Amino acid sequence: MQSENVIEMLHITKEFPGIIANDDITLQLRRGEIHALLGENGAGKSTLMSVLFGLYQPEAGEIRKNGEVVKINSPNDATALGIGMVHQHFKLIDVFTVLDNIILGAETTRMGFLQKKAAREKVLALSERYGMKVDLDAKVEDITVGMQQRVEILKMLYRDNEILIFDEPTAVLTPQEIDELMATMKEFAKEGKSILFISHKLNEIMAVADRVTVLRKGKYIGTVDTAETDKQTLSNMMVGRPVQLEVVKAPAQPKEVVLHVENLVIPSKGHRKNAVNGVSFDARAGEIVCIAGIDGNGQTELIYGLTGLEKTAGGSITLCGRDITHLTIRQRSEGMSHIPEDRHKHGLVLDFTLEQNMVLQKYREARFQHLGIINNGAVRSYSEDLIKQYDVRSGQGPLTVARSMSGGNQQKAIIAREVDRDLPLIVAVQPTRGLDVGAIEYIHGQLVAERDRGKAVLLVSLELDEVMSLADRILVMYEGEIVGELDPKKTSVQELGLYMAGAKRHGKEGASA
Amino acid sequence: MKEKGNGFWSRNGTKAVLASLISILIGMMVGNIVILIVGATNPSMGIKSAWEGICLVFGGMFSTGRDAAGALTFGFNPTSVGNMLFRATPLILTGLSVSVAFKTGLFNIGAPGQYLMGTAATLYIALSIPTSSVPAGLVWILAFLGGILMGAAWGAVPGMMKAFLNINEVLACIMTNWIAANLVTWFFDGSALCNAVESGKTGYIYKTTFNGVETPKMGLDLLFPGSQVNGGILVAIVLAVLVYVLMSKTTLGYELKACGSNRHAARYAGIADRRNIVLSMAIAGGLAGAAASLYYLSGNTEFFWSTYQSLPATGFNGIPVALLAVNNPIGVIFTGCFMSILNISGLQLTNLTAYNEYITDVIIASIVYLSAFSLLIRSLLDGRAKKADKAKSGKKGGGKA
Amino acid sequence: MTFLIQQTLIYAIPLMIVALAGVFAERSGIINLALEGIMIFGAFVGVFFVNHMQPAFSAAKEAGNWMTLQWFAILAMLVAALMGAVFSLLLSFASVNLKADQTIGGTALNLMAPALVLFLIRILENQNTIQMAEGDAASWFMIKKANFGYGRTESMGFLGETFVNRVYLATYICIILFIVLSIVLYKTRFGLRLRSCGENPQAADSLGINVYKMRYAGTTISGALAGLGGFVYALTTANCTANGDVAGFGFLALAVMIFGNWKPLNIAGAALLFGLFKCVAASYSSIDINGDGVFLLAQIGISAHLYRMLPYIITLIVLAFTSKKSRAPKAEGVPYDKGLR
Repeated sequence: MQSENVIEMLHITKEFPGIIANDDITLQLRRGEIHALLGENGAGKSTLMSVLFGLYQPEAGEIRKNGEVVKINSPNDATALGIGMVHQHFKLIDVFTVLDNIILGAETTRMGFLQKKAAREKVLALSERYGMKVDLDAKVEDITVGMQQRVEILKMLYRDNEILIFDEPTAVLTPQEIDELMATMKEFAKEGKSILFISHKLNEIMAVADRVTVLRKGKYIGTVDTAETDKQTLSNMMVGRPVQLEVVKAPAQPKEVVLHVENLVIPSKGHRKNAVNGVSFDARAGEIVCIAGIDGNGQTELIYGLTGLEKTAGGSITLCGRDITHLTIRQRSEGMSHIPEDRHKHGLVLDFTLEQNMVLQKYREARFQHLGIINNGAVRSYSEDLIKQYDVRSGQGPLTVARSMSGGNQQKAIIAREVDRDLPLIVAVQPTRGLDVGAIEYIHGQLVAERDRGKAVLLVSLELDEVMSLADRILVMYEGEIVGELDPKKTSVQELGLYMAGAKRHGKEGASA
Repeated sequence: MKEKGNGFWSRNGTKAVLASLISILIGMMVGNIVILIVGATNPSMGIKSAWEGICLVFGGMFSTGRDAAGALTFGFNPTSVGNMLFRATPLILTGLSVSVAFKTGLFNIGAPGQYLMGTAATLYIALSIPTSSVPAGLVWILAFLGGILMGAAWGAVPGMMKAFLNINEVLACIMTNWIAANLVTWFFDGSALCNAVESGKTGYIYKTTFNGVETPKMGLDLLFPGSQVNGGILVAIVLAVLVYVLMSKTTLGYELKACGSNRHAARYAGIADRRNIVLSMAIAGGLAGAAASLYYLSGNTEFFWSTYQSLPATGFNGIPVALLAVNNPIGVIFTGCFMSILNISGLQLTNLTAYNEYITDVIIASIVYLSAFSLLIRSLLDGRAKKADKAKSGKKGGGKA
Repeated sequence: MTFLIQQTLIYAIPLMIVALAGVFAERSGIINLALEGIMIFGAFVGVFFVNHMQPAFSAAKEAGNWMTLQWFAILAMLVAALMGAVFSLLLSFASVNLKADQTIGGTALNLMAPALVLFLIRILENQNTIQMAEGDAASWFMIKKANFGYGRTESMGFLGETFVNRVYLATYICIILFIVLSIVLYKTRFGLRLRSCGENPQAADSLGINVYKMRYAGTTISGALAGLGGFVYALTTANCTANGDVAGFGFLALAVMIFGNWKPLNIAGAALLFGLFKCVAASYSSIDINGDGVFLLAQIGISAHLYRMLPYIITLIVLAFTSKKSRAPKAEGVPYDKGLR
């Protein structure tokens, strides 16, 4: 008898040194359905999909296709079985053309030489059929994130895959692009392709999926029909306790201007256009100003320009009434804390111990050194205090090497270090990226508390939910400019999306208000 | 389990020492295998000669030549210990040079060039200031400082190229090495400092004793009679301790290490990353310059000035010295001595057998090769206790796969 | 002019082929700092091979059968390339399987090659140099106009004098190899996959490409080319000798590679430029640019020391100007660990 399940993953267990990423997980995918895999960051979704895609070998359990047991030892095996995957971090070669990226690994050749003509025709036909526009001869580094995702989807279609895995595909898209993607996914399903959709966003799952399988901390929680459930139930299944979906906070009471940015220009690396082009805004004490936008629209460079990591080409920055446009990083940091976007690149020296990281901004203060000789006792007791106060958990306390700590605790350590500096401005860039709900709630709480203590908070976030719930004022960045200033209480996600995609913008005077 | 975790055998220091000892043993075995193969396949040499070669590789330090019957003799004598310490002096300093740069994330393969420039400055100062009018001790100090400064300046060149132009420091160092070799030859070509007094010695610069400048023995000649040893070894040890204090106890060391481990994070924290890169290379160059100073100020060494075709091995040997010591300045004192013992073994091989000193370079190269994956050796030594330990504490980590 | 072109080619060809060696390793993601060491090793192996195989070909030499001798040269090139590839396996093993630091691994090979080679040469020859043959070693492999029936005083014309008379076949084999391998790099499936491993090994792996295998392939080709380049250096540049040293050619080749931005066509140009500098540095005193019997460069009165330094100084200057624009393969030098994708 032909099974109605096209793919079955039965009792899968996958261990890594020190952690069980998947503990006896079962997932059954029916032909022609959109099946969502729901779980927090670190719940084991990506690991499970990597097992299905042949990137990892499970310690226990089996995979069946159409009822027959199959062994998937490599992505080649997965491709042969018709399984394709759009990875969360795109697997594209930046300097190759779109076409080369699509054919890579599945090239047609004659005597070893590449034959690209037939491939080009096939890809063109596919992109026509599903309305996915791509420029085959452009280099991947030159195209938008949205188009890069279409390239990833075309890679699967080019290989005639029947089982499509989408790993957090919406994180990089505007609301409108998300709608398009959802429509495309439904079309695939209608044609009989089966889709696994990995997400932690309940709205999208409710909108597109037929069934949901929920994972929590590496364990299987259950599978339900979306028609028979609701967001709150799913959320409880995912986190294991009732979750406050909204951030609780009192209305903001903005006071004096802390940060004033006027016509800031920052040149772009590699491109002729400016990364930041004439940006002006204020941030006041006692408010959270949030910069929203799709990744790569100049947010990173704007923050680099404010904090001094990159040189500005024009405009001015005033912090607490002092012109800091031409000051060094250290001089600027006397007035602002910075929770950086990339905690591994900027936030921590991973090979240093926790206590060494805790004083990264303070080691030159008189209490930590005398005539250049570091006072180890003072460093130790200070970091012990911080660790206690901010509940940073680690194996060996202050002596833990930062690299060995979990992502959430690394982030907590950075937040402890930066918030404890007690400076008038806090710049926080994607402070909750990749963290679980507990850590996110904690960090949101900290930011709101700092706001209420009279700090100005400048938050950069790509997560629309975070923007909507945390911000007192939203500035939308598009192609290096601020195209809109919105009040989160009066706007909708849809409207925000139009600004983010550049389809709508305020006049200049609106932006500099 | 927990007690074991803090025990002697699983301490990081112990593991590093063990890993280095294993590297040394394997390296020596590689050298011995080469000797064996050459001996066995070469009818004129034979297995017996190979055995003698192997004996000398391990015990060259204690070799006392051959007896009347032609058999190798071994024995302890303080003279060779003294000579070993004398030869270890520059090796310790070039080792320090390489390890300081390593700690800042830089690979200082430019030590040979810095060493040469230091040599030139030291010799010029030591021989040009007449001791008839200036006290010899003062000239010694000036020459020593001159060597350090010259080495530092030469080290700063690739440092600046790395910091401001982002040029790979390895390539920049190698080019500056060859430029230094030519510059020094140019500098001494036709110079009045070439030894014109002794016949057939014009290829060499005068010994510093020619001007009455030499490193005081500091009583070491009484301890190791008949050897070349002098106070230089004590200076080297003091410098090693100073480097240790600098790197692990001071804010400057903290900044240098931060730049080395994560240049971006250092910049984020307001540390002047470029300045620190230049500074680190300058310190490294200064140490290599000091190595040359102490070697040539001993008064019993002479410098072959037409050096444009070859670079001093002392500079390159700083790399294995630093790697074996896992960049620990105190450890460098010991690995420097080991490298010196190996050098003496090589000389004995050349003197007493049909083999030659290049076999010690084979051993050194093997050791460097093994150091490239010393982390792996160390993690093998870690054993299972640590894994179990991690399983307990690291439950939350690793989930972002 | 003929002299200038021939001398430039003598320096440029080894640089070019070894720079291409660097490209194959780095495009697969491995920094091959060991080019210098592999060249030294290849030079020794090739010279030693010729030195030992002479008896088998002495009849052909006596008979003036120069075609047979060219086959002998090709054989020696193959042996040098093969041993270079074998030697480079030490680097691949350390950097692919053991995920070791590639810079240190390469440095180890650079220390190992001269040590081993000098150890052996000293035992074999009782001195620090080994020659291909006694006496006029060059006469074994150099192509001369006499081979084509030209007399001593007859001229082959400018092209003939420059590109046929007194040249080595190795030069042309290297040029052909360079072209063929450049095509392989850009037009074949192998080339596409190799390049993908140097840019984004995670992506390559997700498409079923075996990153370890490709990196081994890249480094092995690199080793073979460097070994070949070493022998060509010994044959043409070092007057048929090997002495455990190639005067920093391996590192200059790395600089040529960076200057050429990891692209074969640019590298060929860069190698010619560097070859010209090297040629001027080595024989400035006998270069007669416009044939009027005036040795201009020698008469300017610049020290020979400066000329010798020139190639290294120019390398630094060139690196200084190109480093900002240069674009290395993104994943080079980063060990690929399957567990960490």
